[in-house]
Amino acid sequence: MSPSVLQRIASGDPAAVRECIDQYGPLVWSIARRLSRTPADAEDATQEIFLDIWRSAGRFDASQGSDKVFIAMIARRRLIDRLRKTSAEPPMDPVEALETIAWADPGTACETSIECEQARRALAELRPEQRQVLELGLLHGLSQTEIAARLSMPLGTVKSFMRRGLIKVREFMNVDAERVSARI
Amino acid sequence: MSDTRPQGQPDEAMVDLLIKQVTEGLSPAEQRALDVMDSELATAYLRDLERAAAGVTLAGSTGGEPLPAALSARIAQQAAEHFAAAEHSAQPSNVADLSEVRTAAAEKARVQPPVAPSPAPMRARRFGGYGWLAAAACLVLAIFGWERSPPPLPLPPVAVVPPPPVAPRLPAQPAPPTAAEERAALLAKTDTLKIPLGATKDPAAAGVSGDVVWDPVTQRGFLHFAGLAPNDPAIHQYQIWIFDAGRDKRYPVDGGVFDVPANAGEVVIPIRASLMVRKPAAFAVTVEKPGGVVVSGREHVVALGATS
Repeated sequence: MSPSVLQRIASGDPAAVRECIDQYGPLVWSIARRLSRTPADAEDATQEIFLDIWRSAGRFDASQGSDKVFIAMIARRRLIDRLRKTSAEPPMDPVEALETIAWADPGTACETSIECEQARRALAELRPEQRQVLELGLLHGLSQTEIAARLSMPLGTVKSFMRRGLIKVREFMNVDAERVSARI
Repeated sequence: MSDTRPQGQPDEAMVDLLIKQVTEGLSPAEQRALDVMDSELATAYLRDLERAAAGVTLAGSTGGEPLPAALSARIAQQAAEHFAAAEHSAQPSNVADLSEVRTAAAEKARVQPPVAPSPAPMRARRFGGYGWLAAAACLVLAIFGWERSPPPLPLPPVAVVPPPPVAPRLPAQPAPPTAAEERAALLAKTDTLKIPLGATKDPAAAGVSGDVVWDPVTQRGFLHFAGLAPNDPAIHQYQIWIFDAGRDKRYPVDGGVFDVPANAGEVVIPIRASLMVRKPAAFAVTVEKPGGVVVSGREHVVALGATS
């Protein structure tokens, strides 16, 4: 199997750096825009995320997942860290836009990532209100308290939905990962 | 993948904290509460939850707008500077002797202000054998169980950079043996133990392999690694621990701290045991703050090896 773009970066292939920016820039940028308070914040965050990617490429293990999920994990960590350090204002997505998110369908954004497809299948098994809690928390960066206020839902219910939803996704992803591992 | 997964399930309090960490981050008080919980279990579960959150993020990221051209250019420029700095700090030798590494690091610290963290390690990584990992899991349990350990050894004395020769007055002294040569000499002895080292499930450990040679008579030994990620000594250092069957396993013997430069390839590292090791049962390497620690943060155990 040919090395992934992160493995090529780790082995010192300069072309892979440009390829990584081109291939994953839109993904990182879209996550950063959702989880940043201003466009300027999103730009700064995107630069920081790519620096994290260069530093972490050598730790990427293809047997543990795809480039795409590894990069999404790095992006989320950095953005949550930045959110935590800044004010309590919500990220820049206007409330009206919260209804517009469409989960990926098979054959679209998920086509290059098995983890995306696993997550999508897990999400399809959740109740709509559980899915909505995950959407607000993971895609829009709202805190559990903010989600509770927005949905007029008890905080305990929000926590419960978030927990069950993430555990469901985790189960789907781990089952498949262990199948992959068993084949190695 | 699952064979080193910790046994048991996290309780509700731990899961709540981990989910909050993944979704919105923890307050200092929440972080402290998490710190006193089972760190091995928390680390494994956190990784799973982060993957799950990333999967959901990908599932919700349909399409995606292009990166603005100016931002893309800045990122490319930043990457060029980052990798140029990495290239600048790279070691030419394929097999790095720790004494050279320490000297270089110390020299760098003297002449340069702290710089950006070291680049990513320059190699692909994979986990080692599964039998080995099963043994490693037991050792991880032992390591995470320790509560206190002896103070770490200070960094060994920095080798003095010799002044330029004034004149060739005396016959040249033979160069001292390198760590690799000393290790080879130790291996030739019949009493020397040779113990395979393998990676743990820590992300920083992926692809790590090597061995320990240890002479119980002289109390000298060396770690020999491939695949260990380069570190920036200003941010963290690796620390060696020796589990002595004659001692409480919660209190492993400190074996010193060390660094791995970028592009080091294989490294040979002398072990500086702070105490007499009567019967070495296992060796471990953790990632710690510069200078090492007395009480390990227990976040990163990157290599383990057991004598049987």
